[in-house]
Amino acid sequence: MSEILLDVQGLTHHFRLSKSAVIKAVDDVSFQIHEGEIFGLVGESGSGKSTVARCVMNVHKPSAGSIYYQGINTCDPAQFRKNRKLLQTSRQFIFQDSTSSLNQRMRVADIIAEPMQINHVKTPRGSDREEAAFQLHYVGLDRSYLDKYPSELSGGMRQRVTIARALSMEPRLLVADEPIASLDVSIQAQIINLFAHCNREHGCSILFIAHDLAVVKYLCHRVGVMYQGKLVEVAPTRELFENPLHPYTKSLLDAIPIPDPRLERARVWHEFDPEQFDRNGTMVEVKPGHLVLKGEKA
Amino acid sequence: MDNQFVQVGIRPIPAPQAKKQKWYQGKPLVSMAVLGVIVISCLLCDLFIPKDPTYMDLYHANLAPCAEFWFGTDTMGRDIFSMIFYGGRISLFIGFFATVISTAIAVVFGAVSGLMPKWLDDVLMRLSEIILSIPNLLLIIFVQAILGKANVLSISLVIGITGWATIAKVVRTEVRQIRSAEYVVASRCMGAGFFHILWKHLTPNFVSSIMFMVVMNIRGAIGAESTLSFMGIGLPLEIISWGSMLSLSEKALLSGSWWLILIPGVFLVVTLLCVTNIGNYLRKCGNRKVSNL
Amino acid sequence: MIRKNPYIYYGRKLLAFVLSVFILSVAVFYIARLAPGDPLVSYYGDRVERMSIEERQWAEEKLGLNDPIYVQYIRWIQNAVKGDFGISFKYKMDVLEVIESRLGNTLILGGIGFILIFAGALGLGILCAWKEDGWLDKSICKVGTITSCIPEFWLSLMLILVFAVNLHLLPSSGAYSVGHKNDIADRAVHLILPMTVAVIDHLWYYAFMIRNKLLEEVRADYVLLAKSKGLDKKRIMYRHCLRNIMPSYLSLMAISVPHILGGTYIIETVFSYPGIGTLSYESARYQDYNLMMVLCILTGAVVILFNMIAQIINERIDPRMREQEIVETTEVTEIG
Repeated sequence: MSEILLDVQGLTHHFRLSKSAVIKAVDDVSFQIHEGEIFGLVGESGSGKSTVARCVMNVHKPSAGSIYYQGINTCDPAQFRKNRKLLQTSRQFIFQDSTSSLNQRMRVADIIAEPMQINHVKTPRGSDREEAAFQLHYVGLDRSYLDKYPSELSGGMRQRVTIARALSMEPRLLVADEPIASLDVSIQAQIINLFAHCNREHGCSILFIAHDLAVVKYLCHRVGVMYQGKLVEVAPTRELFENPLHPYTKSLLDAIPIPDPRLERARVWHEFDPEQFDRNGTMVEVKPGHLVLKGEKA
Repeated sequence: MDNQFVQVGIRPIPAPQAKKQKWYQGKPLVSMAVLGVIVISCLLCDLFIPKDPTYMDLYHANLAPCAEFWFGTDTMGRDIFSMIFYGGRISLFIGFFATVISTAIAVVFGAVSGLMPKWLDDVLMRLSEIILSIPNLLLIIFVQAILGKANVLSISLVIGITGWATIAKVVRTEVRQIRSAEYVVASRCMGAGFFHILWKHLTPNFVSSIMFMVVMNIRGAIGAESTLSFMGIGLPLEIISWGSMLSLSEKALLSGSWWLILIPGVFLVVTLLCVTNIGNYLRKCGNRKVSNL
Repeated sequence: MIRKNPYIYYGRKLLAFVLSVFILSVAVFYIARLAPGDPLVSYYGDRVERMSIEERQWAEEKLGLNDPIYVQYIRWIQNAVKGDFGISFKYKMDVLEVIESRLGNTLILGGIGFILIFAGALGLGILCAWKEDGWLDKSICKVGTITSCIPEFWLSLMLILVFAVNLHLLPSSGAYSVGHKNDIADRAVHLILPMTVAVIDHLWYYAFMIRNKLLEEVRADYVLLAKSKGLDKKRIMYRHCLRNIMPSYLSLMAISVPHILGGTYIIETVFSYPGIGTLSYESARYQDYNLMMVLCILTGAVVILFNMIAQIINERIDPRMREQEIVETTEVTEIG
């Protein structure tokens, strides 16, 4: 097993809606991402996946817990400030909604060059524009798109631009918050291939957030399943798909249709009852690398 | 890293060319031309005005337009043709300067209000609402009356500090919206500082939405100056502006000298109209949907 | 999260109202006192220049002008609560009496103007939206743009010039001829010119607003649905679109009150119409503190009141307004 790149320990984040109402968006979540690994995080909407991503990227300050990136505790303001440049260049964020994550008033060239300008990075290919053209080329768009505005591009193209923007810093960790959720299925495939390609060629680790298990199965090395702010199961992809242990995971896997009508009809459905969910469990390592949330009742 | 990522099932789509439009189409050309002529002739009035606009030729007082005095003379014997352009300079300057002041206040106020925590934002917005809700001209009249005797700078200042609230509100709303937009979050993740975000993301977004209001503010300021001067709390008679020329109109009404009222007023209205048309054009630059009805 | 108790809701609004008026009164009081100008002049007229120093001091003491500003303010507000706003320095009369004698005139001018403006604006707005981009719509919009550029005072002057000075048709100033105080016909004749200015100056703007609101409505998807169901244009317009813009129409009316009021102030001054506007103009010019205070606060209170009414209408009829506010708040706590 290679080196641990990102280590999330006991991450907890609460949103205070009013004086009395508090939402526990993320509740005591721990996982690790290794160098060069694609880690998938799945779960239904509202289960806290995006909040985890945002905490990892220092957009939210977690209520409790710590996040270590290459041994740097990013939740500690002093340490964060000291390693600011490293953290901000080597971790990059890709948003779900490419429409709102691109400034409508900037041209593609400027968008891709923005992180380089912010961090005053010397571009290996001469000017910012050349660098932007190269990155565009890399994600499969030609340089005629350099002077376009985001509104002139399709959803898939926009998502490519956001990926190009993230890749321009040659990150070691890519945090992708549902990057394919707002795309058509055919475009999804292209973007997923792009991610896999980045991982292979670049060796960059990816925290890949999705609600679609089929995608995760195809792309990720390891998968974590989240439910109501809790991480209920973490396992290598094959292990998880072959041998799911947590009832929620089982019901989630059942949601994947089998492309054979006879098998599909014959299968046994695992119903998951939210009443049965026990928040106060602990993670237990069942097999090497396979952790599952064991409730106190069970 | 240098090998191109091969896509499956997609051909590079040639970017469609936008339909060519002549540069002048849909632009308020007439207004721009008329306004340009007025502004330039006001700025260069020293070159062509036939008389000294401040010289009181009591021998020729209150003359109707004639060959020598193209627009007639006022009750103190000053040549109105010369005064129009000479005074226009001051009127336009007040319009411009007051707008600069109010826009500056508005952008700072709005950006601060948009970026500050909720309670401070509330207080600031309540404040601007109170100012906004008082009819503008009334506010100016009170402030000006309290300040006493006016000169060009003080009147621009008064108009400026009373006219920022609408723009500030728009700036604030835009900032509020944009600051939680994902591209700003993305920019922050990349390590952008406050000024980078302000300059690269916030400013371009609200500039287009306040442009129209800024232009309308010029119009408002010119109108306010003339109203104030007309009512006798703005510029005194010695300082020539379109407004102070009109302040003679009560005497003019008694003597029936229509040119004293009509000529400066027409220049005023035409200028305001041109500014309004340009402002409306700026507003229309946004997109337009087709009626379903 | 949505406030359910109407008492608390209106209680809060009332509190905000009282607070705003209080702040306004403090601000006006301080600014008025700090400003240059001699209030004694307005009370004693030219006699001030001939006064000896002792006489001056005696006079200032009598009017309470020597105390620190906050003492003056406390004294003022104590009396104000009892309904005593002091006497007008200029008119040597109780402030309330002075205002009372003028208030009716302003209400007539402003009230009738208001009704005319909004009836006309609704009609014109519907007409324009109905014939969108037709010649009628275009010409109405053009005329509207032009009139919106004419300053009120100049329009008044032109009307006076034409109808009073040259044609001798209508009176140019005042609210009634001497000795005809109760003659309604005479008052009506005096009202024609000021009213015309008031209506022309505001009508277009509000017609525009209504037109634009209607056009926004017409572009909504439900209109397509109604059309596909076979409803005719008239029905869609009156039953659906018009009904949907009613809340904005009402709140527009409420918001417009201060602006129409401000407009009548200037018109009153030009036409020497004996109303609140002329009075406030005079009080500001002659530093008539007590009168100016009350007029400022009165105007301010009306303004704040109507803004609040507009807000309440919006929130009552369109609950989204409040929810948006809440969404906004949560976002702020999250990001900020």
